[in-house]
Amino acid sequence: MSTKEQRKRIGLLQGTLDLLILRTLLLGPTHGHAIAKAIEFNSDDVLQVEQGSLYPALHRLIKRRWISVEEGTSENNRRAKFYGLTAKGRRQLVVETSKWDKLAVAIARILRPAEPGAQQESKP
Amino acid sequence: MNRRKGMLNDLEQDIRDHIELETQDNIARGMSPEEAHYAALRKFGNVARVQEETRAVWSSGWVEPFLQDIRLGLRMLPKSPGFTAVAILTLALGIGANTAIFSVINGVLLSPLPYKNPKQLVVIKEHDSLPNVLDIQRQTRAFSQGGGINVDKMDYIGATEPVQVRVGSINAGFLETLGVQPILGRIISSGEDVQGGPRLAMVSNHFWQNYLGSDPHAVDKTIQLGGNPYTVIGVMPASFAPPVEHADVFVSLIARDARAGAERDLHFLHTYWRLKEGVTLAQAQADMAAIDRRLAEQYPAEEKERKSQLVPLHEWLVGDVRSALLVLFGAVGLVLLIACANFASLLMMRAVAQRQELVIRAALGAGRGRLVRKTLTESLLLSVFGGAAGLLFAKWGTSLLLALRPEELARLSGIHMDTRVLLFVLVISVLTGIVFGMAPAWIAARSDVAEALKKSGRSTTASTMGHNIRKILVTSELAVALVLLVGAGLLIKGFSRLRSMNPGFNSANVMTMYLQLPTTRYGEIPKQTQFRRELLTRLNSLPGVRAAMVTDIPLGGNYVGHRFVIDGRPPVAVGGEPKVQTLSVMGDYFHVMQIPLRVGRDFTPLDREEQPLVAVVNEEMVREFLPHENPIGVRIRWAGDTGPPQWMTVIGVVADVKHLGLNQPTDPAVYTPFSQSDEAWRRLMILAIRARDTSPGLVEEVKRQIWSVDSQIPVSDVHAMDELIAVSLEQQRFNMLLLGLFAALALILAAVGIYGAMAYAVNQRTHEIGIRTALGAQRRDVLRLVMRDGTKIAIFGIASGIAGALALTRLMASLLFEVKPTDPATFAGVAILLALVALAACYIPARRAMRVDPMVALRYE
Repeated sequence: MSTKEQRKRIGLLQGTLDLLILRTLLLGPTHGHAIAKAIEFNSDDVLQVEQGSLYPALHRLIKRRWISVEEGTSENNRRAKFYGLTAKGRRQLVVETSKWDKLAVAIARILRPAEPGAQQESKP
Repeated sequence: MNRRKGMLNDLEQDIRDHIELETQDNIARGMSPEEAHYAALRKFGNVARVQEETRAVWSSGWVEPFLQDIRLGLRMLPKSPGFTAVAILTLALGIGANTAIFSVINGVLLSPLPYKNPKQLVVIKEHDSLPNVLDIQRQTRAFSQGGGINVDKMDYIGATEPVQVRVGSINAGFLETLGVQPILGRIISSGEDVQGGPRLAMVSNHFWQNYLGSDPHAVDKTIQLGGNPYTVIGVMPASFAPPVEHADVFVSLIARDARAGAERDLHFLHTYWRLKEGVTLAQAQADMAAIDRRLAEQYPAEEKERKSQLVPLHEWLVGDVRSALLVLFGAVGLVLLIACANFASLLMMRAVAQRQELVIRAALGAGRGRLVRKTLTESLLLSVFGGAAGLLFAKWGTSLLLALRPEELARLSGIHMDTRVLLFVLVISVLTGIVFGMAPAWIAARSDVAEALKKSGRSTTASTMGHNIRKILVTSELAVALVLLVGAGLLIKGFSRLRSMNPGFNSANVMTMYLQLPTTRYGEIPKQTQFRRELLTRLNSLPGVRAAMVTDIPLGGNYVGHRFVIDGRPPVAVGGEPKVQTLSVMGDYFHVMQIPLRVGRDFTPLDREEQPLVAVVNEEMVREFLPHENPIGVRIRWAGDTGPPQWMTVIGVVADVKHLGLNQPTDPAVYTPFSQSDEAWRRLMILAIRARDTSPGLVEEVKRQIWSVDSQIPVSDVHAMDELIAVSLEQQRFNMLLLGLFAALALILAAVGIYGAMAYAVNQRTHEIGIRTALGAQRRDVLRLVMRDGTKIAIFGIASGIAGALALTRLMASLLFEVKPTDPATFAGVAILLALVALAACYIPARRAMRVDPMVALRYE
């Protein structure tokens, strides 16, 4: 948790983690650690979630019935909880994604009025 | 709910699995197992906080964590039983005492009177006669209804032995004014309430149950009262009683006694009036003044000085008691303050002791708000338990109050725990918990985690701060205790002054009892005299007994006054003559009561009918009316006599007697022999008997003698004279006992408070004391070190307490008898007492400090 590491990492906006989890689960049910890995991998390790914060988020989504949970076996043959998208979660993902797109475009316009493709600025 | 349980149960395992997977990944990347594990942990973040946040997802609002805190608190409290017991007991004492007094105030001052629209009811302070009451009824524009009552005793024949019952002589309108509905029959109509009207009786529920066997057909039955038949026309509900005049039977005054009823200047009815809708007290008072003027013009001989004052019934009933109750409520509020200060002080001591725990919780990620909430919940739990225990104390305390109740608290029957009292307890407990839990919670919130961990919990800034707050708390406790002690001290001093007042007679070994002669056989004076003489002869022949009779015994509550004229003085306008108390006696009354004779001679058996009229007066009479002459031989007569003047010669002067109460001034009084009296209507007398042995056997013997003269004379109100004195002191005793009790409670609580603070301070300083001792400090020095702190607190507390008491005791001036609210002796005595108690409370921990073994103290770290 040194300050150096913190500088490289990009913090997540409130609610963004929920969206990322839903997006990850679109590929199929999986367990907690795998979700964290997938988020890191797909964002080229830029979005480093403090892995623990995944759990409150998962429970929040379960409570809203956007994802479901069932017992399963992980790749190393251990019993684990597998989280999967529900129909409701799928619809929510569509809503959230379009909301996010609009937000990203809007913010990009404010920050970089000359360059419409500001999204790429965040990548190194 | 179930979903949530399932999810949360496995959370810990899930997290462990997660970290394990991450660790394996890290190992696969080439880290050492140990390195891999720590990297995984770092990446995961704060496990405890994750768990808490995840739980928070499922908890709904504030209820969940609140219940959690309560569960935690309930688990924690029994773990420190000493602390819990002391905290709850302290609060229970404070809340219990408050609740007991509040339930009295609730019953007496706050609850409405048990009559229809009680706010419309007023009384006229002055007693009045029936003709005047009827005139007011006719002339008033302010009252819708009104009526008067006078209670005396009549014998009722029909029970197993002749008994005396309390008869309310009323006029039609009295019962209607109070708005009572009979449960059987009806009440008297104004058409029946006339001279020569039928003898009708309305009986109380008590009479109906005890003497009529709760007969549902009691209406139209005939009962014998005072030798006359009365027809029962109505039975009152059990809930009904006139505000003060508790009576067993109500009868029409004019039908019962046409003569007394017709006398305009016989002012003996107490009258109640109901204001018309929308009429204010001031308007009614103005209307009343106009009526008074008209009556004074119309009947100058009788009503010249008429002045009727209206008072709302409720105010009139509670007037005397109100100030006492409010002072007591204030006092008990102060007791609660002390209890709360102790409670807060205990909580702070605990908060400081638990800092380590709080710091660790904070380090593990507990939010500041959460810590404050936890501390507050604990103090709330304690205060609510304290309140519940306080209810038990209150219940016990209320019955104690009822047992002590003075006559003046007549309405105490309405005292019980109702919702208002319970609400009071709830509010007071919760407020106590929150307000006095604030300080420790604040300390908890201010804890700086890193700082606290570094210092490993020993005397940190927060604990010094806590210590300072505790010093302030203890100082204020002492100050408040001093105020209460001064109040109690003043009352005690006033009470002992009152007790040592010379009543003017010797009450020891004197029995009194009340006799009334039935009208039918004793209507004429010679008959009455014959009975009295016969009875006294018999009683005085009993060994060791001296008996006499008097119309009104001192402190018996009855008083008759007459206007009089002194021979040879310039004539005074009719109705403007001075008034004196008038008493008739027979037998050696002054000897029996041991009222000293100052000048002249006592009555002798020769001062009887057909002999020159004589009178004995008291010293006050001489001081007021005959100051510059020899009173012996002066002639006086009663004013308003018709026919030739009946001059009485003063033959002696006796000492003053406190007739109305030990704290009341003595009125001028004239004693005359019963046998020379012409008041045939006063067929009552009180026997005063001095005997070596005043056991119940004597009373039985006296009764036998009475009944051997006339077997149908009821005997009632048998009291020892000492008892009458005690009864007359009841209100003062009540005030003194209660305030004394509260002051004692305050003293104990304050002593516990200062002891606790000092003991804790010594405990905190064990290390320092050890070093000092190791460096050569003597035990004396250590003692001085500790006592200096305690003394400072005591001096500040006592000084501010004296200032507070000077400001507050004025409020209780009306309760004091011959003691100034700033009585220096009381202030000094109380200050010394409190100083001694405070120093003793400090001395115990100081002695412990002296014994500190430097080696142990230094190693203690």
